[in-house]
Amino acid sequence: MLQIESLSVNYGGLHALSEVSLSVREGQYVAIVGPNGAGKTTLFKAISGMVPASGGGIRYQGRDLLALPPAERARLGIAHVPEGRQVFNSMSVLENLEIGAYPPAARTHWRRNLERIFTLFPVLAERRAQLAGTLSGGEQQMLAIGRGIASSPRLLMLDEPSMGLAPAVADLIFDRIGALHRDDGLTLLLVEQRVAEAVQSCDFGYVLESGRVALEGPNEVLLADDRIRKVYLGM
Amino acid sequence: MARRGGLGTSLVIIALLALAWCALAAVVANSYYLLMLTLVPIWAVMGLSWNLLSGYTGLVSFGHAAFFGLGAYTVVIALIRFDLTPWFGIPLGTLVGALAGIVIGYPTFRLRGHYFALSMLAYPMALLYVFVWLGYQEVALPMKRAEPAWFMQFADYRVYVALAVGLLVVALLVSLAVERSRFGMSLLAIKQNEPAAEAAGIDTLKWKMRAVMLSGALAAAAGGLYAVVLLVVTPESVFGVLTSAQALVVTLFGGVGTLWGPVIGAAILIPLSETLQAELGDVLPGIQGVVYGVAILLVILLAPEGIYWRLRDRFYRPRRAPPAEMDASADTEAAAAPAELPARDPILRVSGLNKSFGGLRAVADVGFEVHAGEILGIIGPNGAGKTTLFNLLNGFLRLDDGEIVFDGHSMIGLKPNRVCRFGIGRTFQVVRSFARMSLLHNVVVGAYAVTTNDADAFRLAREALRRVALSAEADDMAGKLTNKQLRLMELARALAGRPRLLLLDEPLAGLGSAEVEDVLALLRSISAGGVTIVIIEHTMRAMVRLAGRFIVLDHGRVLASGLPNEVTNDRNVVEAYLGAKWAAIRAAD
Amino acid sequence: MQSFGVFAETFLQALTAGLLVGAIYGLMCVGLGLIFGVMRVINFAQGDFLMLGMYVTLYLVAGIALLPFQSSTAVPFVAAIVAGPILCAAGYLLHRALISRVTGTRAAGVEGEGHYAQLILTLGLSLIVQNGGLILFGSTPQSVRTALSSRAWEIPLRFNDTAALFLNQARTIAALVSIVVAVALYWIINRSRLGKMLRAAADNSMAATYMGIDVDRAHRIAFGIGIGVTAVAGGLVATFNPFQPYVGLDYVIIMYAGVVLGGMGSILGAYWGGMTIGLVQQLSTLVLPTQLQNATIFVVFLLIVLIRPQGLFGRASERV
Repeated sequence: MLQIESLSVNYGGLHALSEVSLSVREGQYVAIVGPNGAGKTTLFKAISGMVPASGGGIRYQGRDLLALPPAERARLGIAHVPEGRQVFNSMSVLENLEIGAYPPAARTHWRRNLERIFTLFPVLAERRAQLAGTLSGGEQQMLAIGRGIASSPRLLMLDEPSMGLAPAVADLIFDRIGALHRDDGLTLLLVEQRVAEAVQSCDFGYVLESGRVALEGPNEVLLADDRIRKVYLGM
Repeated sequence: MARRGGLGTSLVIIALLALAWCALAAVVANSYYLLMLTLVPIWAVMGLSWNLLSGYTGLVSFGHAAFFGLGAYTVVIALIRFDLTPWFGIPLGTLVGALAGIVIGYPTFRLRGHYFALSMLAYPMALLYVFVWLGYQEVALPMKRAEPAWFMQFADYRVYVALAVGLLVVALLVSLAVERSRFGMSLLAIKQNEPAAEAAGIDTLKWKMRAVMLSGALAAAAGGLYAVVLLVVTPESVFGVLTSAQALVVTLFGGVGTLWGPVIGAAILIPLSETLQAELGDVLPGIQGVVYGVAILLVILLAPEGIYWRLRDRFYRPRRAPPAEMDASADTEAAAAPAELPARDPILRVSGLNKSFGGLRAVADVGFEVHAGEILGIIGPNGAGKTTLFNLLNGFLRLDDGEIVFDGHSMIGLKPNRVCRFGIGRTFQVVRSFARMSLLHNVVVGAYAVTTNDADAFRLAREALRRVALSAEADDMAGKLTNKQLRLMELARALAGRPRLLLLDEPLAGLGSAEVEDVLALLRSISAGGVTIVIIEHTMRAMVRLAGRFIVLDHGRVLASGLPNEVTNDRNVVEAYLGAKWAAIRAAD
Repeated sequence: MQSFGVFAETFLQALTAGLLVGAIYGLMCVGLGLIFGVMRVINFAQGDFLMLGMYVTLYLVAGIALLPFQSSTAVPFVAAIVAGPILCAAGYLLHRALISRVTGTRAAGVEGEGHYAQLILTLGLSLIVQNGGLILFGSTPQSVRTALSSRAWEIPLRFNDTAALFLNQARTIAALVSIVVAVALYWIINRSRLGKMLRAAADNSMAATYMGIDVDRAHRIAFGIGIGVTAVAGGLVATFNPFQPYVGLDYVIIMYAGVVLGGMGSILGAYWGGMTIGLVQQLSTLVLPTQLQNATIFVVFLLIVLIRPQGLFGRASERV
């Protein structure tokens, strides 16, 4: 479904990504882990078109993504739940979700998606008229994910959904993400710092370090590998 | 900015230009062309005045007409009311301009960007209506037939050309003096990165105030002479938007932040627009304004910094110094075993530090000590509050509560430039360079904090560059450096201020593994040289080999502190970095 | 008692004048508020588009007069409203051709530089429009006179037999029209799909792009609407105030004062900001000579930005 081949990204003389290759199959749950500054968010931004690639290619359902402007990519059914949530602070919860359903294809499924969002995150239903900027961090994260679901995605990309959240809230978020994969059959691409949560729940994982893929494999292989700890803690 | 070392050349060019201009005036008989020859230098002075403030500091002023108009009206009113000759009136107007600079600058420098520009527009507009109300709609200078020369009234128009050229020479010399001193260097640093300039020890408000005073004085002088030349002053002609725009346009067109830009701009645009006005003014009354407008559009779209820079980028190649010998001292110092930590005096003591943004507690009850001579690592996951902590320590942010004592002095409430002068240097997560300045000039800015002598400052800067092995690139523009060179440059800038404590925010970010080794060696040698270092870094691999002690921050709190292996095995730390489940799995092993 | 009556009468007269003119200032501020407050684009030429709105209204009225209909007193107001879409289209195209080079995603990341270029570019535009206007329209002050311009409704005041409040009919109708336009715009921005799209793009352009919104297009549309709304306000002002090509400069400061006063990012705030400026301007005539009316506005503007850059209605700035 998504095929990335030797993708490189440079930011003003800085190699953020060098020759990264990875693939996501339909219905798969793929996790990308790695310490801060490893290039995980850059990879997502390259897929969404927020940063230009300096080499390599990205194909999505057979189409060359790099040839499309960013807004077009979102309309192909790729939902990007960005790092730091990035909800529309000055708009209400419901308006945020409506904007999530901006792509034409999403509008036809609006009712069904809304119902699903509110079942997954009942608190959003309670707060539908509240401004997103006044929500707690966990609620904003739920809203950001809900906004992604509202777009009827075929591929849901989640960038550090647990960042800055209390452990209990993070657990709840991971649980719901798992449900989206299991029950709705969504294809997921997850970037995460919390290695165990990410690796345990995914089908296949990649470990990024300094802009390169340091390790890859199915989850049980990765879980058994102590190199992950080295990548993170240096000893 | 212009090359240093060309002082003699610049003076010769100024002298030749003045002579050539006067010679031209001597052969021209047509009074209309003589007027043009007078107006070009006057507007060039206006441009230089605008350039001094806006060109060098980057704070765009839409209101230089305020100074120009005050200068013009001072001369006129002094002559009419007090019979004071313009020979004294113009200096008086210049003084008024400088005072206006203080009155306008002090409150307005609290603003930045578009707010600054708009506020500056409001001053001349308000003055315009005030002068209309005072009844100075159209004031003509009275003819003084008895002693014309005493009242600056000459039958021979060429005298005015000479006066205007004289004023231009003064303005050029003033600009030259500013540009070649720490004054100009500080203004340029402010323009390119104000926070970095503050952190490097530059008192930004002080320099901006001096710039606006000088700028106001020059503009007022130009206005005064303008009144004498044209003999009639109206509020619209001196306080009007076109006056402010003209100052901006000639500079922008010729080249922002350069000595010659305003002169080039005035020499091209003034004759062009005046001629069009004279030829087509009857048919197309606004042609002058349209020409300026089009000139602005073209410049912004095609050469955003003006003709001068465009040409310079095209033709100027920096002379490269012969590759200097790598200074061996850094290596030998590195090789020397890190000095045994001397008596463990805390050089920096932080306690009960708190900072909230809205409801979020970015830093909560943080307290720690830094011992003289040690390398202390601050680690923690994204958003843990590490950079916020640095911003509190060096005065970028005001703390809500807590204590910061450096070497016996409280740092609370001090501006970054004061903190820097106490001996705390810092670098930034994203390198804050002055892209349009050479490497040497980038670094010399850091040295101003410790010496009042410019030559000393350059000596310190060269020394700092040698320390980080960048001597060979000293004349390169910072904008062309690689990431590693920029990191080293920033380190050199901090070192040039002779700090006792260095705050380093992710100095290894984005470096390749070989580059990391180089920087690590350098940091060890700096530490061995007696500088205490506090370093934020994500690359744990590097950190465990560099820092003697760690503090771990998470959610704004100190999670753990201690020796590297203690910290990396601390369960809380593993949880913060790798997640609770991981810690649980590994604990079960 | 007599003197109190006189004072009360002048005061009430100034207050009504302030409310009427404030209602229109509010509308022009809403136009700029959309561009500057919401989209964070600095447009120095906003006043000159207001001036164009006046001339378009003038020529529309003159054109309609040539038609073989019975002319109506409503014509100038209709013309002012029609000037809106015309200048909206012009603003849209202008943004596409010029402004977009210094704003939006292309200028993102160079915050300071972007603003610098916007300031200078729009100053250039302003000079061209003003002086081009001088060439095209001439410097003679014009006005869109209607029969209503010199007619007033007289409202007797209870406390004094001779005292009465005079409501200029042109001003009153212009104020009512501007309130209607402002309410309509408020509805579009807050309720319609288009409005939500614009707000999302302004709130968080990156996230908006991830939702499939073409942020550059959103900026063009907002710029066009902002110009159009201000132009309508210009057309309405033209029905009772004479104007010439340089008139925009007086209004550009009024507009920025109102937007800043109302709090950045708030459409409602911008309206109240403009209203406040109108009141201050008219009430200042009670104590200051009329020539200083405009100087007062500049001083008020300076006080606002220097003392309270977040605006008087700053608390409401989270809402639109």
